[in-house]
Amino acid sequence: MRIVIAEDAALFRAGLVRLLQDEGHQVRAAVADGAALLAAVAEHHPDVVIADIRMPPTWTDEGLRAAVELRRAHPGTAVLVLSQYIETGYAARLLSASPAGVGYLLKDRVADVDEFTDAVTRIAAGGTALDPEVVRHLLAGSRRSGGLDPLTARERDVLALMAEGRSNAGIADALVLSLGTAEKHVASIFAKLGLPASATDNRRVLAVLHYLRP
Amino acid sequence: MDAVSLVSPVLRGPFTGRARREVAFCVLTLPFGVFIPLAGFFATVDAGLLLGSGPPWVADGNPSGQAVGAAVGVAALLTVLLVTTGAARRLTAACRGLAGRLLGEQVTAPPPLASRGARGLAARIADGPGWRALAYLLLKFPVMLLECFAVAVLWGAGLANLTYPFWWLSFRNHSPGTRLSPVPVITPFDWIGQGHFTVATFPGTFAAFAAGAGMVLAAPWVTRMVVAADRRLIRGLLSPGPLARRLADLERTRALAVDDAATRLRRLERDLHDGAQIRLATLAMNLGMAKKKLGDSGAVPDADAARELVDTALQGARDALGELRELARGIHPPVLDNGLPDALASLAADSAIPARLACRLPDRPAPAIEAIAYFCAAELLANAAKHSAAATITIDVSQRAGLLVLTVTDDGRGGVDPGRGSGLAGLAQRAAVVDGRLDITSPPGGPTRVTAELPLHT
Repeated sequence: MRIVIAEDAALFRAGLVRLLQDEGHQVRAAVADGAALLAAVAEHHPDVVIADIRMPPTWTDEGLRAAVELRRAHPGTAVLVLSQYIETGYAARLLSASPAGVGYLLKDRVADVDEFTDAVTRIAAGGTALDPEVVRHLLAGSRRSGGLDPLTARERDVLALMAEGRSNAGIADALVLSLGTAEKHVASIFAKLGLPASATDNRRVLAVLHYLRP
Repeated sequence: MDAVSLVSPVLRGPFTGRARREVAFCVLTLPFGVFIPLAGFFATVDAGLLLGSGPPWVADGNPSGQAVGAAVGVAALLTVLLVTTGAARRLTAACRGLAGRLLGEQVTAPPPLASRGARGLAARIADGPGWRALAYLLLKFPVMLLECFAVAVLWGAGLANLTYPFWWLSFRNHSPGTRLSPVPVITPFDWIGQGHFTVATFPGTFAAFAAGAGMVLAAPWVTRMVVAADRRLIRGLLSPGPLARRLADLERTRALAVDDAATRLRRLERDLHDGAQIRLATLAMNLGMAKKKLGDSGAVPDADAARELVDTALQGARDALGELRELARGIHPPVLDNGLPDALASLAADSAIPARLACRLPDRPAPAIEAIAYFCAAELLANAAKHSAAATITIDVSQRAGLLVLTVTDDGRGGVDPGRGSGLAGLAQRAAVVDGRLDITSPPGGPTRVTAELPLHT
């Protein structure tokens, strides 16, 4: 995959480049701010952009704004936003700007190389990768309002993984279930919550998120 | 001082803008001076007239007891009314405005009564600024008389005297032999029965001209003196009272303290985010990569790469620790727990420019004061190292009348501008929060001396 990275912390940027190269990806450019990111994308047309949220010049949400802008201008480029904090509001902004081909992860997740590269691959394929932390927040909100009461504990685990953007196979893997059992849980969740059964993983994520959103 | 430089301000005095503005001030505020005597006079006399059919107002040609009592009562009522209706405040607000516009005497208005949630009669009677406004109106009367003297006699009559030679020949050109009464000339000394003189001939008008010139030259200085008295009254009586000023000070410094705290928290977050946090994230990433290189079990597929990544991770851990240590020290230096002298000694030892410390502090200040003094010294040392090109720095700490006095002197190039660069302004603000102050003297060419005075206890 062709990848462009935008991250202002030089050490972390270098590490990220090495990690992705070791995994067999081509890092076409590694830049330090939002404006340079837009220019690099226009030049290299990467498959995936990995961007830090907080970058110069204002150190607020440059990366997020660049991501939204990129999804609009280059629909073929998936965007993974990294951050040291998780803000549910940021996730909502990202998803409402573009329901597919986006991801929002804590920087900590990079430490698990396989999970991280899996997320990159997923969004490059038009999927979604949401940090478990975001999902946890959303689930907590729904639990408070009683919306998740009909679900069993296992079904809640499945729902969380579904919201992160995982496929049935990914869910089965993570929970050490057979694929058939995972599919049964998913069908049961859709039925209990009154969600429309969706074919693609991405639409499934959106349905779940739509349900969870306060 | 030579004669020219002594005389020229005297000659120019009457023609300055300041002289004009002071005259305008005297004229425009005259009504405020006559207000109380006039109001008092009419109120007491009218009271007598209104109650005319009542008790005998005159006994043996003098006011009777009842008359005096009624007058005192009416005067007291008038006084209370002036304060409680806010009339005194409104009248003096005009004086304050004129003083600001014409004299450049900027006096803050006292806080309005209503804003303090006090609208009852009791609160209105207890309205300190209202009473002080009334006191101003009373004292304005004698001052106004002096101002009238300066304006009417020195300026008015002085200018009139100057004109005598010019109109004399056109109006006094009667045929010879006509007997004309002499024309009086007004002088400032008329009122003590001296100095009054008259002129009857044309050459005599030059005496009037000379008197006028003297009066006009003296006028601006006399006006300035009486206006100075008025300024004192305005500053003392028409400004917010000491409590209100204190309140305003506290409100200002509280806002500074709140801002300062918010700024520091924000900076702390930034430091953590850009420092230790990202270092730890990088460290985790390197360890994650190393783990991958080590494989799940058995033989290691890429031992060299794994070793290198672990080395990088180790270095990252050390850097993160160092960063966190610096950050923690910046929040509260542990050495400060042993007292200010120890903390300053280690600060002086670490200074880039050789620093000498003299610390005579018999009483231990409050921890907050120690912290402010410490960070003040640290900032000043850092500033000196950055900008002063000094060879030595002296840090002097002493105690004087319940104050901790910290003086940092360097022999550098000076020219420090407290307005530019927020470091010193920030220090001054932090000192102000605890009622302390910061003095900076830094002439171009040096030396720079910054003195912080802080109360020993908050």
